[in-house]
Amino acid sequence: MEYKKFKEIEIYPARDLSYNFLGIQFENPFILAAAPSTDDLEMVRRGFQMGWAGAILKTTSVEGTKVDLCYPMMSAFEHEGRKLFGMGNIDLISEHHIDKVEYNVRMLKKEFPAKMVAASIMAGRKEDWQHLVERLEKAGVDLIECSFSCPQGNIGEDPGKMLAQSLSATELTARWVKEASKRVPISIKITPHVTDIVEVARAVKRSGCDALTASNSIQALMGIDIKTFAPTPSLDGKSTYSGMTGPAIKPITLRTIAEIARNVDIPIMGTGGASTWSDAVEFMSVGAGVVEFCTVVMHYGFRVIDDLNSGMSHYLDEMKFSSPKEIVGKALPNIVSHNELPRKRMRNHIHENLCIGCDLCYVACRDGGHNAIDQLENRIAHIDWERCVGCGLCKFVCPVDDCIEIMEWI
Amino acid sequence: MNLTLTAQQARVEAERCLQCFDAPCEQACPTHIKIPKFISMIRNGNIIGAAEITKTSNALANVCGKICPEEIFCQSVCTRGKQDSPIQIRELHFFATQEEVKKGFSKTKPFPTLNKKVAVVGAGPSGLGCAFELSKYGYLVDVFDKGKPGGVPRNSIPAFRLADKELESDTKFLSKYFSLKKKTVDGKAFEQIQKLYNATFLAVGLGKDRPIGIPGEKMKGVLPVLQFLESAKANPKRMKLGKRVVIVGGGNVSLDAAATAKRLGAESVILVYRRSEKEMRVWKAELEEARKQGVEIRFLINPVAVVGKKKVEGVKCRHTKLRKQKDKSGRPIPVEVKGSEFIIDANNIIIAIGQSIAADWLEGVEREKGYIKVDENFRTSVDKIFAGGDMIAGEGTIVQSVAQGKHAAQAIHEFLSGKQEAASGI
Repeated sequence: MEYKKFKEIEIYPARDLSYNFLGIQFENPFILAAAPSTDDLEMVRRGFQMGWAGAILKTTSVEGTKVDLCYPMMSAFEHEGRKLFGMGNIDLISEHHIDKVEYNVRMLKKEFPAKMVAASIMAGRKEDWQHLVERLEKAGVDLIECSFSCPQGNIGEDPGKMLAQSLSATELTARWVKEASKRVPISIKITPHVTDIVEVARAVKRSGCDALTASNSIQALMGIDIKTFAPTPSLDGKSTYSGMTGPAIKPITLRTIAEIARNVDIPIMGTGGASTWSDAVEFMSVGAGVVEFCTVVMHYGFRVIDDLNSGMSHYLDEMKFSSPKEIVGKALPNIVSHNELPRKRMRNHIHENLCIGCDLCYVACRDGGHNAIDQLENRIAHIDWERCVGCGLCKFVCPVDDCIEIMEWI
Repeated sequence: MNLTLTAQQARVEAERCLQCFDAPCEQACPTHIKIPKFISMIRNGNIIGAAEITKTSNALANVCGKICPEEIFCQSVCTRGKQDSPIQIRELHFFATQEEVKKGFSKTKPFPTLNKKVAVVGAGPSGLGCAFELSKYGYLVDVFDKGKPGGVPRNSIPAFRLADKELESDTKFLSKYFSLKKKTVDGKAFEQIQKLYNATFLAVGLGKDRPIGIPGEKMKGVLPVLQFLESAKANPKRMKLGKRVVIVGGGNVSLDAAATAKRLGAESVILVYRRSEKEMRVWKAELEEARKQGVEIRFLINPVAVVGKKKVEGVKCRHTKLRKQKDKSGRPIPVEVKGSEFIIDANNIIIAIGQSIAADWLEGVEREKGYIKVDENFRTSVDKIFAGGDMIAGEGTIVQSVAQGKHAAQAIHEFLSGKQEAASGI
């Protein structure tokens, strides 16, 4: 017998995840970042229908800017069997004419008035930046993101190309943009490739812009073919540096957001390496007001929004939070400098009933720690508390959840 | 088999899932559980969300999570299986639903209310599947059953395969979506039901052991399989078997009986089947499990008479061979080999060769090959009466019965909202 598929009747209530950020009402904290997924009207439409709260359309520039793409442009950082631990791209900005981007904005705002529709812009001269802002505001965007930091397409020969690496250029350009905007908030998308991210954030703050988008992809060399010495992605044996995104860069972004939020009072749109609802919670807990996603969508599709919404809803219920906004900044008081950390006598403790006898902790501690773990006869690992200092290494090489615990030595 | 995963095992297994688009597993599941979606939720640590996904599609999510034969449904088509080995989908499913049970059922949203009543006769998998789906549409649903809800999973699936508390993690959840009328339905009651309700879904299952038709069948010590399994489950302590037990049959029920006999202490349990292993309609995992427990399985043997005076002493059999010709089931026809009689000693013989409909108050409803005849919308030959589950197709799996109940509910909804004719073409 054939069992026809029909649309399931939803039986669980959808939790209200909406809140206000930057004067914009967001249906949930999950936004599509400026990327291939937001370059096409059909695609953004589908993303919106599936539940994404907003989209930042792929970066556009002034008419006549030549977008000279080359292929293949994608690559992957494969790590221990996970094929897409990091994603690399040598993509550039949208190939669409600004007219087309304006058209997309108009259509999307008409069809989805409750969604946040933003544009991402990039230019050189003052009048170009300002012209873009004026045109897109008129077309009806809710927010404008300015890419000061796309790392692709240059290999560092001209530092000015990555605008956010220069404090004065950042402040000046941000001022131009802010000057031109009459209605919508402006967010400056920055790069973590700077000596002091806080100074960059302060420069943006001084410019009067409304927010920061932290942060862009990480400039990376994705790999080398060890037989041909062709870098990845190989274009006839040649390549250039990619912008790396995805799970591999999450800790870098997390630190970037935290460092800005700890020092500068400015709203942050978090992006760069978030794939799941719990990643989003982490980003928000260190100061992001909303979270932008790209790589996970390019990998699995817009459908990941279902788990983002469901996971966030259950998390808020469990934490008894009334709105996602309550998460914002929750972890910040706990990030302190090294000299403020507590100095306690710590020891690792192995729950021997859970130990499976791989002795990875033994070898790690012997060759990389304090030689404080003994092998018992039955292969079970045993900590010598006289030698153990509680560094925590063994806990993280142990393949078993909760087998090793770090505790205070009393 | 029936391994309960730890949180770490579940996460690691979930990470193996490729997250196929329009996934074959989802297509193969009769209730079309959104499998990649719930697995992605497990891997991202949203276990309750995962449980909700399975329960949205399958009313008996815990039961199916425990005993669904995934090797013939989702897991058999898992894309990952083409790469190395398929994902343990059922185990992940059970992990999620049981976590929800531990935490407390997620609150459902209020369903709409329609001022129409539907009767569901029989609280087995298809009845419960239909009742829950109907209540989602807003119908007032009364479910009639003479006992506690659960049907075959409650009454005759052995407790070592499905514990009562596992079944009840579903029936307890479902109980607030309809009212259960503890009542034996007979001809008179059925007539009344038809008058009082806007539509009726028949899901009373089979329930009557099919006789084997050999001399000595009524002798003391010969046990029809349902009777055996039901009393073994209800009163395992009072169930007494002899040392040597022979089971006749080649389906999953016969394996359940064999494993149960072994657990009740029979020293020798021999299962005889008239065809070969290839033709058995069983789940491999269960067959292996029965063998592991020491059940001896003999093929190409047909019982011809019960041997004994007052009570069973053995069973006389003949060897068979398979013809090239196939019967309606698509399997080769076994024929007895002349002069090949032999006797297997036995104190009990359990006959597990199939079941038929026990309800004797359904004369007015047309049948086909012994089962209730329905059209593609689960409509019977009688106006406003729909049917599903084992009654319409013979012994099926639980998940198929749930799916039939769910689909029938949709057909009933279409009929009650005027989109479909009351009477079928039958």
